[in-house]
Amino acid sequence: MLRLGAAWDDEPALAAAWRAARPFPHLVIDGALAEAAVAELLAVVDEEPVWPYEADLFAFEATAPAPTTAELRALVAAWSAALTPRLARITGAAIGRADLRAYAYRPGHYLLPHTDHQAGLDRVLAFAYYLPSPEPPRGGELELYRCEVAADELVVTAPAAMIAPAPNRLVVFAVGAASLHQVREVEDGLRLSLAGWFYP
Amino acid sequence: MTDLGALFAARAALVVPAAIGPAAAAEVRARLERRGYTRYALVDRGSYDVVAEPDEPALCAALAALAADRLRPTPTAAPPPLAVIDARAVRLGPGDFVLAHHDRVHDDHQLELVLDLSAAPIAGAEVHYRRGGQLYHRVAAAPGALSIVERDGGVTCHHTYVSRRQADAVVRLVLRLRA
Repeated sequence: MLRLGAAWDDEPALAAAWRAARPFPHLVIDGALAEAAVAELLAVVDEEPVWPYEADLFAFEATAPAPTTAELRALVAAWSAALTPRLARITGAAIGRADLRAYAYRPGHYLLPHTDHQAGLDRVLAFAYYLPSPEPPRGGELELYRCEVAADELVVTAPAAMIAPAPNRLVVFAVGAASLHQVREVEDGLRLSLAGWFYP
Repeated sequence: MTDLGALFAARAALVVPAAIGPAAAAEVRARLERRGYTRYALVDRGSYDVVAEPDEPALCAALAALAADRLRPTPTAAPPPLAVIDARAVRLGPGDFVLAHHDRVHDDHQLELVLDLSAAPIAGAEVHYRRGGQLYHRVAAAPGALSIVERDGGVTCHHTYVSRRQADAVVRLVLRLRA
């Protein structure tokens, strides 16, 4: 079982923060994992191979969509077991499982503005968890946008919040047609993270 | 013959280097500046400056003639008649991009010309054409170069992200032509 940090103890406060967050519901939890759990997690991720991925929307390195080692499969299960019930209570979302991949953003890497909302994928909540880096990154912030929608299209997009990739920080946000976000380009250093979604 | 597919046995995708000289490109850039760029910032699609009507008829006609000459099926054949459908100028600075799903839909056969008017090459600032998701024509940053691509409904295009570590902008004149 993944040991969580004390930051989770006050669930009513986290639920209030979730509801009050703008431009769309999100949470930033510092000290999300117990220190010992961070070290264990790093050891597992370190054994998983990463590959370059590049398209018009992104350039980064990541593990394969499905874990290749038994240790990472176990970590995904532990992550899901530890976080799903808590986040269901805090956000009110009907979630039952999670997946994740590990990501490495090096200088010049980015993920341009997009929503994670895709018909048929059933993504309810998205998350990013930032790992300690041997070379703390400059850039690589998660940027959230305020959007206006008309006739199923975004007609206004404006930067609204910026979240730095601080070690042992977990960011969770609602997935929807207007939850536009990006990972700003890493200009220096190495940004290490786990990211994925919670599903029903 | 009225269809590019009939005109050209193979789908065209080529780059003509030095289609415009540095001095002439600088003059075009200056005219575009005077005409005025508009910022496009619906960032789920793109982030760039645009001149929707560049008003460069002589340059457009010269580029169309150059494309027609390069696309002759045989060296002795007459160049196919090509008409300019529209033109626009785009300027991408550090942090800018144009995503594929912001690309114009091309239901019929057309030619797309992209003239690099930049003052200097911007590393990594490229135009990519894909068919069936596969990259088949990569237009690297090369001031003065002209890309000529035959397009239909199966081709998508995007302008790659320009790194924030770059200091300058890339300027491109984009033309659509029809036979």
